[in-house]
Amino acid sequence: MQVRLDGVVKRFKAVEAMAGVTLTITEGEFFTLLGPSGCGKTTTLRVIAGFYDPDVGGVFFGDVPMNGIPPADRGIGIVFQNYALWPHMTVFDNIAYGLRIKKVPAANIRPQVAAVLKQVGLEGLQDRTPGQLSGGQQQRVAVARALVLNPRVLLLDEPLSNLDAKVRARLRSEIRRLQQDLHITTIYVTHDQEEALVLSDRIAVMDNGRVLQIGTPVDLYERPATLFVADFIGTNNLIPGTIAEIGEGMASLTTRAGVLRGVVVGSLERGARAVAAIRPENLVLDDSAAGADVVLRGRVVIAQYLGSLVRYEVEAGEGVSLQVDVSDPKRHRRFTPGQEVAVRFHAASAQVFAAGAIA
Amino acid sequence: MTPPAVAAAQPVVLRRLRVPGMVWALPIYLFLLVFIVFPLYRLFADAVTTADGVFTLDHLIDFANDPFYRSALVNSLIVSGGTVVGCIVIGFTAAFLLVRYDFPGRETFSYLTMLPIIMPPLVGIMGLVFVLGRAGTINVILMDYFGLQKPINFIYGWHGVLLAMTMHYFPLITLNLVDGLSKLDASLEEAAEAMGARGLRKIRDIVMPLVTPGFVSGATLVFILAFADFATPLVVGLQNLVASQAYLNIVQYVDQRLFKMGVVIGALMAMMAIVFLLIAQRIVGLREYAVLSYRSVERKPLRGVSRFLAPAFFVVVLVVAFLPYLGVTLAAFGKAWSLTPFPTRFTLSHLDTVLHLTPLYVINTLRWSALAALFILVVGVPLGWILARSNLPGKGAMDAIVTLVLALPGTAIGIAYIRAFHFPILGFVLSRLWVIMPLVLAVRRMPYTVRATFASMLAMHKSMEESAASVGASGLRIFKDITAPQIWRGVLAGMLFSLMFVMQEAAATILIFLPGWETMTIGIFTYYTSGTIGQAAALGLVLILLCAATLYAAYRLTGARMGGLFGSGGG
Repeated sequence: MQVRLDGVVKRFKAVEAMAGVTLTITEGEFFTLLGPSGCGKTTTLRVIAGFYDPDVGGVFFGDVPMNGIPPADRGIGIVFQNYALWPHMTVFDNIAYGLRIKKVPAANIRPQVAAVLKQVGLEGLQDRTPGQLSGGQQQRVAVARALVLNPRVLLLDEPLSNLDAKVRARLRSEIRRLQQDLHITTIYVTHDQEEALVLSDRIAVMDNGRVLQIGTPVDLYERPATLFVADFIGTNNLIPGTIAEIGEGMASLTTRAGVLRGVVVGSLERGARAVAAIRPENLVLDDSAAGADVVLRGRVVIAQYLGSLVRYEVEAGEGVSLQVDVSDPKRHRRFTPGQEVAVRFHAASAQVFAAGAIA
Repeated sequence: MTPPAVAAAQPVVLRRLRVPGMVWALPIYLFLLVFIVFPLYRLFADAVTTADGVFTLDHLIDFANDPFYRSALVNSLIVSGGTVVGCIVIGFTAAFLLVRYDFPGRETFSYLTMLPIIMPPLVGIMGLVFVLGRAGTINVILMDYFGLQKPINFIYGWHGVLLAMTMHYFPLITLNLVDGLSKLDASLEEAAEAMGARGLRKIRDIVMPLVTPGFVSGATLVFILAFADFATPLVVGLQNLVASQAYLNIVQYVDQRLFKMGVVIGALMAMMAIVFLLIAQRIVGLREYAVLSYRSVERKPLRGVSRFLAPAFFVVVLVVAFLPYLGVTLAAFGKAWSLTPFPTRFTLSHLDTVLHLTPLYVINTLRWSALAALFILVVGVPLGWILARSNLPGKGAMDAIVTLVLALPGTAIGIAYIRAFHFPILGFVLSRLWVIMPLVLAVRRMPYTVRATFASMLAMHKSMEESAASVGASGLRIFKDITAPQIWRGVLAGMLFSLMFVMQEAAATILIFLPGWETMTIGIFTYYTSGTIGQAAALGLVLILLCAATLYAAYRLTGARMGGLFGSGGG
């Protein structure tokens, strides 16, 4: 089922939680709404679910307008952040409830519940109450309950945020596998960019009620469209400065760390204030800098050995601190705090944005 | 590297005297034993022994074989059950509207709904008689202006008792449910909506089961209070109820057999209160879920007809609930009010009588209340602290006693005190000393303060005290600097509630007072039964104003939520 939002505005008193959101989520896609708290992602999910009606604009499932249609008639399944399992019902009753409301014959309920329980790997726990389950198990019951009515769209609102790291990683893969098996259009809300990158076919990054960029994980990581996205997705070294020279999609930037070059994103002109963004893994320390066309001087402040990589903090100019990740430490020369180093990178791996508020 | 400092600190810690908690708590244990456990023991023991102290079941068998008492028991159960049903219908509707919807006057109604509680039951039924009685305002209007031949019987009999009790007790249900409903997480209901459960189906399947604890707590309390109320039925002419019989049998003092039967009924009422309480706690225990609310349900504005139906509901309920206030006020200022809808002339003489000429009742009530408040402060607050923070032996028993006292009928406590303290203990016959009045009042109403203290302590995380202890503050110092500043509001609010119910108390005190000790409620009863209506009403009005002032102070202190104080289960 294709889901489309067309210029949706949703206000709560003075606050504009959605300030004109337009999205198209294609059939069978795993689509994530990503952003910091208060960015409007949950509101967007709830507008799709039908708990809120848009003040302006429309929601469409396929070509059918959904405005004014109650959640139960939209063919959605929803998993809430706190699971919202009914504590006074057993696992079985929680899942069967929707079937009973839909007046499914009693004889058909049992096999259907059993089938979804099998899908989420909870066979045998159907007579427990939610209070007797672990957090991870509760989460799976919530997913099973959302799936039992064979929804056209599955909505998940930060479903993993209340779990510890290990369980979270395991359930993350399970959700993705389930989604691919069922080939169900899935809309996922999270503030965790790593979760979004791992799970999604496409991601919409939101801030202040607006969609800043929609793209695949690779798009967002490698070609962020705004400074906010560059900062929010992954780690980036952000170095402010002034445009010294600009032309053919590249710009030179005068900063406290020296003169940098990078790819221009958006429109910029000479003398404008700008910010260069360079990923830690694109920076190279000293010797092995073949082909690098930008060189900065700096001093190592901290060196952290993380096994698969060494993470350096390098002070390059007054107030400019760079994170440098050198992977495969065995093959590289190691530096210790206090050492003077050269920091090199390819101009093509750096991006230059117009200066603006980051968060 | 300063080892000397560490070494110096060590002996300081060791030198601090360690008195076991049990020693500190000893007076509390003793108080509970002497003034609650012992009287109850005497009450139950008396019910199953002869005058010579021999065990017998004869009294119980007498009770069971007497068709009059059997029917009284059935009647009492019907009255209490009916009151609970009435209170649930009105109380749930009110709570659901107040929590879930927005409509004109919602805030005002939510305040006003509390108010019937401040009406002492005795004053309430009296005020109702002034307005709805045979010669009350409504009947006089109907007969004078609408040609009605005979007065309509609005209140004499079953329906009157049910009306008066429902209107008086429904706020207890509302308070408990407002509390429960506002704690429900919105997503629990949204999950049901997403599956197509709407309206009443959603309320039945999801909302009702989840507010069951608050529901059962409130309903149990209403049941027990209605079961124990003897004054309301007597005023409207119903005598064959258990509570009324207990009262009548005890106060006649002449017929030993009847007196003994009064004791037996008192013991039975206490027993039944305990049984109801246990059943309620079992239900609440099974149904209590730790549901954390992430997001409360948004209030929906009502539109169309219902926008006016909701306020109309409250107006009707509150008008009926406030009729007694009208009646009492009119009677308090009316001069020779009879056979007219409203008094034709007004006077201050009734107020002058009760405040100036015979101030005994008011003075006694203030005196006993102040002393009772002192007892409650000294015993109830530490008790709340012990329940919340300590691991003293017998903590569970203390908790049970506090909850039990909340449920015990005043009549039963009064009878128990008569039986327990009517002989010398250490040379004193307590029942002949005036101090028994504030004592029985304190014991009966202490649970509100204990619960408020307990709740305030729980709301404050223990780590706050522990971090003070970690920098070396002593126990008392921690209490003064950390604990007290954070809990005093809650504790004081609880004490004001205790105080309000102390002033309203009629059941226990009316059984144990000696001439000269009369409280305002006893004064009202005396005036009313002797036909001096004006004075009874004036005294009632003063009592209402005192209670209102107390409740207002408590309300200001706590903000709003006080549902937990009235529950009989949990906590």
